[in-house]
Amino acid sequence: MKKHLITFAVLLGALLVVGKSQAQVLVVANPSVKATEISKGDIRDVFTGAATTLPGGISVVPILLKAGTAQEEFLKAYIGKNETAYQAGWRSLVFSGQASMPKSLDSDAAVVEFVAHNSNAIGYIGSGSPHEGVKVLAIK
Amino acid sequence: MRRLYLLAVTALLAAAGAACAQSLDELNIQIHGYATQGFVYTNHNNWNSMNTTDGSPAWTEAVFNVTAQPESKLRVGAQVRYFLMGDSFGNAITLDWASADYKVNDKFGIRFGKVKTPNGMYNDIQDIDPAFLWSLLPQSLYPITSRTSILAHYGAVAYGSLPLSRKAGKLEYQLYFGERVLPANDGFFVPIMESGADMPNGLTGPTSGGTLRWHLPVTGMMLGVAWDREDLTGPFQVPGVFQGNNVNSPFKIPFFFGKYEHNKFMFGSEYSRVPADHQTIVTQDLIPEAPPVGALLHNVIDHREWYAMTSYRLVDKLNVGAYYSSYFDVKAPLGLTQPNPAFYPNFSLNRYQKDWAISARYDFNPYLYLKGEQHIMKGTNFGFLDEDNTALFNNTDMTILKLGVSF
Repeated sequence: MKKHLITFAVLLGALLVVGKSQAQVLVVANPSVKATEISKGDIRDVFTGAATTLPGGISVVPILLKAGTAQEEFLKAYIGKNETAYQAGWRSLVFSGQASMPKSLDSDAAVVEFVAHNSNAIGYIGSGSPHEGVKVLAIK
Repeated sequence: MRRLYLLAVTALLAAAGAACAQSLDELNIQIHGYATQGFVYTNHNNWNSMNTTDGSPAWTEAVFNVTAQPESKLRVGAQVRYFLMGDSFGNAITLDWASADYKVNDKFGIRFGKVKTPNGMYNDIQDIDPAFLWSLLPQSLYPITSRTSILAHYGAVAYGSLPLSRKAGKLEYQLYFGERVLPANDGFFVPIMESGADMPNGLTGPTSGGTLRWHLPVTGMMLGVAWDREDLTGPFQVPGVFQGNNVNSPFKIPFFFGKYEHNKFMFGSEYSRVPADHQTIVTQDLIPEAPPVGALLHNVIDHREWYAMTSYRLVDKLNVGAYYSSYFDVKAPLGLTQPNPAFYPNFSLNRYQKDWAISARYDFNPYLYLKGEQHIMKGTNFGFLDEDNTALFNNTDMTILKLGVSF
């Protein structure tokens, strides 16, 4: 009995660790984006303005969230910066003429609506948010 | 040549708009701007024509830009800047950049018009105050007074990103060419005028160079190298003494830099060297003591410049950091004697400057921030002018507060 309890506790702990290590956001894209998966490096490049395509030359247009839990989770998991540092990076590109500021939307629903109806759009939402009309890209 | 670049941008913008006939929404027109107000206090030595020993608020900047994206690969825009620093620098609205940018793909794009010059770690973004922690970037490499000249040129920048193997990371390149224009009223010439000389038409000439950034497979690590070549000429005179033409041998300036960022921590460093021989051919001598007509005068410099900086984000809204910056002209003569009294009647020997800085930035929200910075400086090379001070002290403590808003 004691042995089973110990095994159960170890398994439960492992599940908790695994669950915590995965970001609680989904990366979603318009169905026109011909990709089924995306790497962490590509996420960082696209959402910091360093790239406008995925491997294979697939054009993408990043869509951001203005604030909220999903935004914080996304920045922590994939960009490695907080909101202030992230915005500063985009501002250095905008004010030096190297890029335009990506569109920022107020809610997961707004992101899904926009991504669903705009070719090449790619965004992120909370993992529990409805996402009809968009495809979820697996993180590799 | 510069008018040609700007006309090309204007024509491209008009053609793109006419051909597309899109709604404003589809053109993705964006308007952005920022403004900063600084306050500077120095314990002695007034700085950059401000009365800083009494505390001075004469440091204001404002930037406004408009961009449009008529189609996915083409972006056009322009940005204007108002810059005020004391009595001698700025106080005018100037064109920061105006360009058309066509990005074929991530490996190649080209931007032309009046464009920011990408050399070194920060040259093309050194005037974008909302982008970083510091109130003043290290002055050894990024002197604040030349905002309209060395930061941008008329011409083009080709850029792109080349993925290397999985174990080798990624290489970013930016190559530029065009024309550099230093207008006569630019802050670059204030120390020259203070020395008694004058460049009535400023300096112009071809410029070229590039920057390579290697993003290592280690996340957050980047090493870079850049080079810059300037072939600038213009009339040179010491009023009442002689007139001549400045025929500088080309400036060939290398930069070596690196940065590491991990979560809340950043470390960066950069080194550059500016060896040059400012040459002037005398075309008219006005007093018997002046160098004779046809004489070739040399002013040889060899600036060695570097800095090391670090920062740490203490909490979400508060970022702190420090840097050490060093500038030294190894060719500047020692002692207090002037190399040629006829050439430089008011020559001031400012052969070096070392600067410890401690900084903090607090972001109230995404639009409003406050910066505070304390400098401990030795040497008077950057910004300490004889005309602003009855006597120069070697050491200066400087306190800066800066409020900024951006949208």
